[in-house]
Amino acid sequence: MSFHHFLSSYQSPPDTWDEMQAQGEIRKHYQVFLDSLEKASLGDLTQKDELAKKLFMSQGITFTVYSDGEGIEKIFPFDIIPRIITGAEWTHIEAGIRQRLKALNIFLKDVYHEQAIIKDKIIPASLIYSCPNYLKEMVNVDVPFDIYTHISGIDLIRDSDGSFYVLEDNLRTPSGVSYMLENRNMTYRIFPGLLPKNNVRSVKDYPDLLLKNLLALSNRQTSNPTVVLLTPGIYNSAYFEHTTLARLMGVELVEGRDLVVNDTKVYMKTTAGLRQVDVIYRRVDDEYLDPLVFNPGSMLGVSGLYYAYRAGNVAIINAPGNGVADDKAVYTFVPSMIRYYLNEEPILKTVPTYYMDNRDHFELVFSQVRKMVIKKTNESGGYGMLMGHAATDEHIAAYRSEVEKNPRQFIAQPMIHLSSVPCYINNKIQPRHVDLRPFALYGPQGIEIVPGGLTRVALREGSLVVNSSQGGGSKDTWVLG
Amino acid sequence: MLSRVADSVFWMARYLERTDNLLRLLRTDYIASQDELLDYNWQLLADSFGSDRPEQKVKVENYRQALHHLLLSRPHECSVFTNIVRVRENARSVQDYITKELWQALNDYYHHILEPKTENLITHNDPVTALDFLLRDSIIFYGTLDVTMNRGEGYTFLNLGKYMERCLQNLEIVEFKRKQMVKAEVETVHWKYLLYALSGYEFHTKYYKNALNAKEVIHQVLFNTQFPHSISYSLGQMLRYFQRLADFSQPQQFQEIEGLLQKLIHSMNTYQQEYNISVIEKLIPDIRQQFNHLNARLASVYFGYS
Repeated sequence: MSFHHFLSSYQSPPDTWDEMQAQGEIRKHYQVFLDSLEKASLGDLTQKDELAKKLFMSQGITFTVYSDGEGIEKIFPFDIIPRIITGAEWTHIEAGIRQRLKALNIFLKDVYHEQAIIKDKIIPASLIYSCPNYLKEMVNVDVPFDIYTHISGIDLIRDSDGSFYVLEDNLRTPSGVSYMLENRNMTYRIFPGLLPKNNVRSVKDYPDLLLKNLLALSNRQTSNPTVVLLTPGIYNSAYFEHTTLARLMGVELVEGRDLVVNDTKVYMKTTAGLRQVDVIYRRVDDEYLDPLVFNPGSMLGVSGLYYAYRAGNVAIINAPGNGVADDKAVYTFVPSMIRYYLNEEPILKTVPTYYMDNRDHFELVFSQVRKMVIKKTNESGGYGMLMGHAATDEHIAAYRSEVEKNPRQFIAQPMIHLSSVPCYINNKIQPRHVDLRPFALYGPQGIEIVPGGLTRVALREGSLVVNSSQGGGSKDTWVLG
Repeated sequence: MLSRVADSVFWMARYLERTDNLLRLLRTDYIASQDELLDYNWQLLADSFGSDRPEQKVKVENYRQALHHLLLSRPHECSVFTNIVRVRENARSVQDYITKELWQALNDYYHHILEPKTENLITHNDPVTALDFLLRDSIIFYGTLDVTMNRGEGYTFLNLGKYMERCLQNLEIVEFKRKQMVKAEVETVHWKYLLYALSGYEFHTKYYKNALNAKEVIHQVLFNTQFPHSISYSLGQMLRYFQRLADFSQPQQFQEIEGLLQKLIHSMNTYQQEYNISVIEKLIPDIRQQFNHLNARLASVYFGYS
């Protein structure tokens, strides 16, 4: 049976923007890709699917699941059919992210210095001070070039009318970029010739752009600053990403125990003695960075790192304390920030958000809880979330009492129907919901965004949860030139 | 380079060389037991190459059990399986430092030993097929290393680990063979299998040209600098690689380790001059002790152990 036969039975879910088709017609930007598969059978696709799995396994792009005391290697689910974005859509996304990041970055500087936005009553002070990720240790700390959000991953979704919404800003240690790179490497193995034929823009520059920015942040008068990537270690779920980035940039991958602080300077322990470190791209959370200042039990950080940072002797990327800007309760104020700091209208839409500590909002949300998603303000990875449409009555009641205990820690948003894309699952072409996480790099010379990103897929039928920890997978993202 | 990375690379190479040596020994001894040495003592093999810890010791009743214990046993800290897991853990922690190809070669090695087919061959079918299969992975590792790795510091520490382990395994195997011979009627068969296990039989026949005798076999294994498994050859390689670190080291540290290597080489030369078969009684403990000291000093000076 041919690919096209199966495609004809493809039915996108109701009230959903499908990326490939509209009212039964294939969208123009998917046409070249689909035409090239005209002669392919489903058997061919199965072969490609198996090849992709084999390549991921052999490259060790896996995570370990422990059962009966023994680790079992699993690959992160990858769907072979790419998600395609037009050049025009990308221009819009890019401009929106640029604008948003500019405002968020000014907000971070402001909130840790003059706090004009609070004094002008644009954002309530209580919201900031009640945010667990607001670090008083960062108040009046000057960061190099006033840049806080060097690397960010902005999660975008598409509502049923096709417009892009920002779902979340990830400004702390966003992950997933190695999958963007690896998924692309997979595509040219499983679909030879299709990338040039479709004029797909390359994402390969990412490590070079990142390294360029990191080098520029060194404060030492040297032609050859030392940049390191600080990882929590091999048991971290994103360890593969840390090694990939360190390898591609040619920087040392260090663990906390490899670093030592002396006289407010950071050094790494090498075979030839101590060598000064200028820039740390850390993939360790704020809380664990320095046991002397933050979590005293941390084994992942370096004692004295914070003081070295304050003294300007080392740059830490991203800056500590960014969590106050990607807090889910602060999220609703981003459009106001854009108007306040930039005097512009926001390009990307924001999902309406209700505060659970506002009693009116609380009642409103629980009166139509089936249409709502309730989230914890400082959690990510899809944890601690209530999806109203799929929850049982008992679950909702239990969640409600949980919210009542600490309403500041929760927000609610109306359910947005994420757009759908074709996926090859169980030997069938089926629609599944996706989001998109482009990665933006903010350096002294401005903001750069490689054309693409990580498309995360909710692999379970009808599911809207795309997080890899909750049954999500990913696919390659093509931005057409 | 980072001390931790140097340490991991060094140990990765040691575990890999240990695995390679054990696989070769198991292969030749298994074949010997099927053909020439029909009363092969499997318990002695399991005890000699298994863990020394009493709780890890097992009683093996036949070759299948011995092979399983030494190759596949998960709880056994000295099994090939455990070694490969360690190699991979070390490689994972330096994944950014070694080449992608090398990591993939090791990762494939790990997945091969996990395959049910490997276990089935060892416990129910022809173990030689499984051993060949695993030895091929080992050769792929050395080939990939040679073709892809840069010749910087990491390569040096890798080679130091490899040759140090080779020497120590060499001493282990010679000791083991001598234990095997205690009750043997014909010694030469054991010496022949010793050479097979070290891939040195063909070289021996060409180089020594006499009927096989213990003195020449041990001479080859200890002192022959043309034989890549000999201690003298391996020490020469260690010194050659170590001297590349001169520019990357603090002078005092470099001189200390270089001195220890020179001393080892000098000891071997002295033993060679007074060589007769009984010299190994003294040589084995002495050289082993010197290697252990060298290992401890390398760890302290280069790998940041306190």
